[in-house]
Amino acid sequence: MKAMRYLLLIALILALPVGLWAAGSREAQASGPVKIVYWRSLTGVAGEAQDELVKRFNASQDRVIVEAQFQGAYAELNQKLLAGLAAGAVPDVVLLDSPFVALFAKDGVLAPLDAFVRSDRSGFKLADFIPGLLQDGYHENKLYALPFMRSTPLLYYNREMFREAGLPDRAPRTWDEFRDFSRRLTVVSGGETTRFGAAFTTSTTTAHWYFQAAVYAYGGLVSDEKFNVKLTEAPALAAATLWQDMVFKDKTAFGSLDPHTEFLNRRVGMVFGSTGSMGNLFSRATFPVAAGFMPGQVKNLVPVGGAVLAVTSTDKNRQAAAWEFIKYMTNADSQAYLVPRTGYMPNSQSSINHPEVVAYFSQYPERKVAIDQLVHTRPQASVISLGKGTELLRQLVEKLLVGNVAPARALAEAKADLEKEYNETYK
Amino acid sequence: MAKRAQLVHGSADKTRKRLSSREKRDAAAFIGFTFPNFLLLGVFVFWPIIYSLYLSFFRWNMIAPRKTFIGLANYRTMIGDAVFWQSMRNTLVLAAAVVVVKIGIALFLATLLNRKMRMRGAYRAIIFSPTFTTSVAIAMVWGWIFDPNFGLLRVFINAVGLRSPNWLGDVQWALPAIIIVVIWSGVGYDMVIFLAGLTNISQEYYDAAQVDGATPWQCFWRITVPLLSPTTFFLTIVSVIGALKAFDIVAIMTEGGPLNSTNVIVYYIYQNAFQWFKTGYASALAVVLFAIIMIITLAQTRLSKRWVHY
Repeated sequence: MKAMRYLLLIALILALPVGLWAAGSREAQASGPVKIVYWRSLTGVAGEAQDELVKRFNASQDRVIVEAQFQGAYAELNQKLLAGLAAGAVPDVVLLDSPFVALFAKDGVLAPLDAFVRSDRSGFKLADFIPGLLQDGYHENKLYALPFMRSTPLLYYNREMFREAGLPDRAPRTWDEFRDFSRRLTVVSGGETTRFGAAFTTSTTTAHWYFQAAVYAYGGLVSDEKFNVKLTEAPALAAATLWQDMVFKDKTAFGSLDPHTEFLNRRVGMVFGSTGSMGNLFSRATFPVAAGFMPGQVKNLVPVGGAVLAVTSTDKNRQAAAWEFIKYMTNADSQAYLVPRTGYMPNSQSSINHPEVVAYFSQYPERKVAIDQLVHTRPQASVISLGKGTELLRQLVEKLLVGNVAPARALAEAKADLEKEYNETYK
Repeated sequence: MAKRAQLVHGSADKTRKRLSSREKRDAAAFIGFTFPNFLLLGVFVFWPIIYSLYLSFFRWNMIAPRKTFIGLANYRTMIGDAVFWQSMRNTLVLAAAVVVVKIGIALFLATLLNRKMRMRGAYRAIIFSPTFTTSVAIAMVWGWIFDPNFGLLRVFINAVGLRSPNWLGDVQWALPAIIIVVIWSGVGYDMVIFLAGLTNISQEYYDAAQVDGATPWQCFWRITVPLLSPTTFFLTIVSVIGALKAFDIVAIMTEGGPLNSTNVIVYYIYQNAFQWFKTGYASALAVVLFAIIMIITLAQTRLSKRWVHY
């Protein structure tokens, strides 16, 4: 008899998760507003602004309730999404680092949005978005994501140091001038360099981005739409050589995992950053900061970055709710809230013309660089959407700036690695 | 002991023919009590191990609905993968340094703090405190300590007239920096285990040795060290496995860099699985790590018979 009781106990323990699951799914089926989950990334003002917009969306209507869940940096969010997919539990809307749209869309993780765009009767206009920002939401001619917190790489400089060094109060116009400015900003005392002209990032999230910008400026490409890697061509070689020479020949720059901290601590005069860093850098610096275009060389052209919103739910009902939500998040009013707080670029023509955005840029004309650069953008290299693409380019930057590997060799290795990655995982 | 074993054996003999109702009840109780444990272990330990082994024969990115069977290709890739070998080497260097230096320092501190002295509890608490500090906080604070320009360590190094290395940014210095942090954060725990071991050594041995005119040094080498050997053995195994599984400090302080000079095997598995979408290759790496840990543990258990005195 006792044995029966134990068996009963075991049965109960086994049944517990099943019961919980049943309770959970019943809740989801209840009528009333549709509850959806939004996975967000980014901290500081950029994170708080998203939470505020979610709150406003929930207050604005009663059909959809969005729960925002913070999932760490872009890369961590991707990891959790992978784990969620493997476990069959995914959120409804995700904030994605723009190059990853193709990677997830390719394997059917993202819901195509074209049907929603066609049947929308709320006056939503796809053509209102800035074409250069909408472009990387597409994969094989289907729309998977809307531009949300978009950014371009910029050059930030310490105006005080520029004045001290007798430099003009503007960002260097070419990479050659950047090298020259960097030399003039560097201070050596007692055989030790106490101040560097510039710091390059070697960290996972953005190392590849600034390098792409340099290659674009020299008139080249990292890879074309058909995944032909162009790293061994002259523009990439010129960019790589200049970066390395600044570190090892001139000794006026160095590679760092966290250049912004070096910048805020007055250790370096110039750093690269996203337009999205504007809010943080301007508010945290104890000295006057200015933002300018990335240096050009033969061209003024930068790879556009930042985040897009994509729908991951598989249920039709929830997809419709998610569509309402991302439409709200990307509309002009939301951008008018987001842009002044974070420094991100307005994503549409109507948000550029929004009175609050207009007022913001007339109050802070130095931040207008975010809009001015809009016309000089193109999407990132196709290889970025390979699983290991950003990492292989980061390794290239590390080899150049830390390992002092000859540029021609480092570039050839990166090209071979990227091609192998493409053949193995993407083709 | 022997007598009891015989009794148990005897009763087992009898019941080979028929289980008594009492034994049936016992068996049911056994199953009842252990089943939840087996269930948990099964779901969270055994199944993942088996599934990793299975996945290691495939190419898969965790998203695609289809897994491609590639046989032993992941293992062959590993042989030619320089980063794998480097992370393996780094892991073994870390393990060796941790075992020798950390356990040595812990033993020194334990014998020191086993004697009666003022504020002994406070010293013990201070040295133990990293044990209950989250590793993320430890890694962040040490990141600042190692800062080549503003770091605390720079002040000390400059004070003795040397120039501070760029700890975390230099291929030569990054791994030593990680080793320092791992030792610092683990030494307190080892010390406490040693202290517990020391209280088990009867004072009589020391008294007898003193009567025979033994020096404190002789007492330490001839009494303390041999009688602590079971504790040392336990700490060695735990430390080696801990070092082989090192991850958090590396992830936060260096991301495995610069140029993979601090990449360790678990971090490399993580990078492959979750950053680069290479689930199959990561599983193959995990299987290899599993085998290595098993071999090391078996070897240690074998070898321990020569130097551990219970």
